[in-house]
Amino acid sequence: MRPIMAIATTTVGEAIRRRVLLIILFIGVLLLSIIPSLSVLTARSEQSTMISTMYAVLRGTSALIAIILTIYMIPNEIERRTIYTILSKPVMRWQFLVGKFMGAVLALGLMIVLMSSVMVLLFYIFQQPSPERLLEVARQPFFYFLEMMLLAAVCIFFSTFTTPLVNFFLSIGIWGVGTVLSPLYSSIASNSGASPIMQSVAKFVTGAMPAFSNYDVKNPIINPGQVIENEQKYFIYIVLYAILYSAGLLVAGMVIFDKREV
Amino acid sequence: MAAAIETRKLTKTYKSRLHGLINVVQDLDLTVEEGEIFGFLGPNGAGKTTTIKMLLGIIYPTGGEGFVLGKEIGDMDVHRIISYLPERPYYYEHMTGLEILRFYGALFGIKDEALFNQLLERVNLAADKSKTISQFSKGMQQRIGLAQSLLNDPKLLFLDEPTGGLDPIAHIEIRDLILKFRDEGRTVFISSHELSEVERICDRVAIINKGIIVSQGKLDDLLSGGRIEIIADDVSKEIADQIKGTADATVSFHEGRLIVDMSDEQDPNSVVDSIRSTKGRIISLTPRRKRLEDLFIETVRDDDASKKKPAAVAAEAGGAQ
Repeated sequence: MRPIMAIATTTVGEAIRRRVLLIILFIGVLLLSIIPSLSVLTARSEQSTMISTMYAVLRGTSALIAIILTIYMIPNEIERRTIYTILSKPVMRWQFLVGKFMGAVLALGLMIVLMSSVMVLLFYIFQQPSPERLLEVARQPFFYFLEMMLLAAVCIFFSTFTTPLVNFFLSIGIWGVGTVLSPLYSSIASNSGASPIMQSVAKFVTGAMPAFSNYDVKNPIINPGQVIENEQKYFIYIVLYAILYSAGLLVAGMVIFDKREV
Repeated sequence: MAAAIETRKLTKTYKSRLHGLINVVQDLDLTVEEGEIFGFLGPNGAGKTTTIKMLLGIIYPTGGEGFVLGKEIGDMDVHRIISYLPERPYYYEHMTGLEILRFYGALFGIKDEALFNQLLERVNLAADKSKTISQFSKGMQQRIGLAQSLLNDPKLLFLDEPTGGLDPIAHIEIRDLILKFRDEGRTVFISSHELSEVERICDRVAIINKGIIVSQGKLDDLLSGGRIEIIADDVSKEIADQIKGTADATVSFHEGRLIVDMSDEQDPNSVVDSIRSTKGRIISLTPRRKRLEDLFIETVRDDDASKKKPAAVAAEAGGAQ
């Protein structure tokens, strides 16, 4: 466990100093800051527009950070030869991979906490909501954090055998399918009118691809009509899903990385 | 004395789409004794780093076997008592020297602050311990690399080009440290291009060319069979030609002085007698040990030539048909 923690903390230290990530983070915070002043221009409910835009910025920025942060992790260590000094110590390859993943997740957590704090603070200042409503707003970033953990696992998995550029497009693609297209495929899979081939493809996509859309838990402010029947059960399900799916990807990554020539 | 490293027919083959199978290291038989400084030499791309990586268990051999400190390569127990300093190492730039040692120490489960400070003292970085790696010179980075490689009090150190790109002062500092490692009873395996450096510190060497060991042994044995240089004044051209004809020697004139370079297996007295017989004046007679550089170039060239010959013969045979 000690090597894993040492690698994870070093990864966090490096991640929070990477200029490109800090620039993305800064832009994210900047966008969040200007949203309250733009929301007054919309004809829709000011509160729902403000929060849905803030969520979109938070989610997009976090996804970009998660991808940029993780796709270079393993290739950079190989290119700079730091991996050789680490693996020549009593460190197993799987420990190295898990340490890197944990570091990425911790760094992502810190960045999401920072952006969420700005978001909640601005929402409180401009809308002065009730404590219950504020809590509902503050809850969503936690689900985005789980989503980003899952995305980081996807990127780390691909980084064990692809170049950063290929990894970037693969990860973006999978995230896109899992967020935008997943609800569409779900409806096709459950639609008895669709052709059997389409249904099989849709079932495969919804079953095998990580379901990132699970983590966009619609806020009652934005979608008053949408109700999750058993909220507690749903939340346990998506937490377990993120942990188990990430673990599965890491194990697959470990198997590939263990055989890889570095 | 037990072997610190032993390989038997260790082989690494890569598959290439363009060139088919490429033997980067082929049938490597290597023995490094405990407590010695062993030089592993070879031109670029000869397979030195690949061999080190195999011995460290970072890449996997495709054939043969290897043992490090009596255990099969890749054994995690061995990683607790060995150490590695890669060529041009990179360390996390945001960290200070002390933080680097804390990080690598944590990989062993070492949290001994006194040890970290002691190691920084040892590599003359105590005064710079709060500087970040980005503020370190190349020499300082190499020294912090050596400090991290001593964290676990290793029995065997692998040093890949430890003095590459360093200034003369840093060279001397690193060389002195390596010599101290041997005095402390550690085994040091050095891969290097700095032949004069290797000649000064190594007990034994192996020369690898195109993945195959072409020469291996004690430095004293390999460099025996040296040369003798005779410098003389007032020697006529005729006598010089006569010496050239009788002795297997290189004869030249420099600023009017005759310079004879001959193998120490030949008798220098006959050359001296020839010079003195015509009133020539002997200025110096100097026995010179063969230099490692000469041995290296000779060995690699001979090996390249012997590999070209069969190919040329085959090409000629093909052409004749």
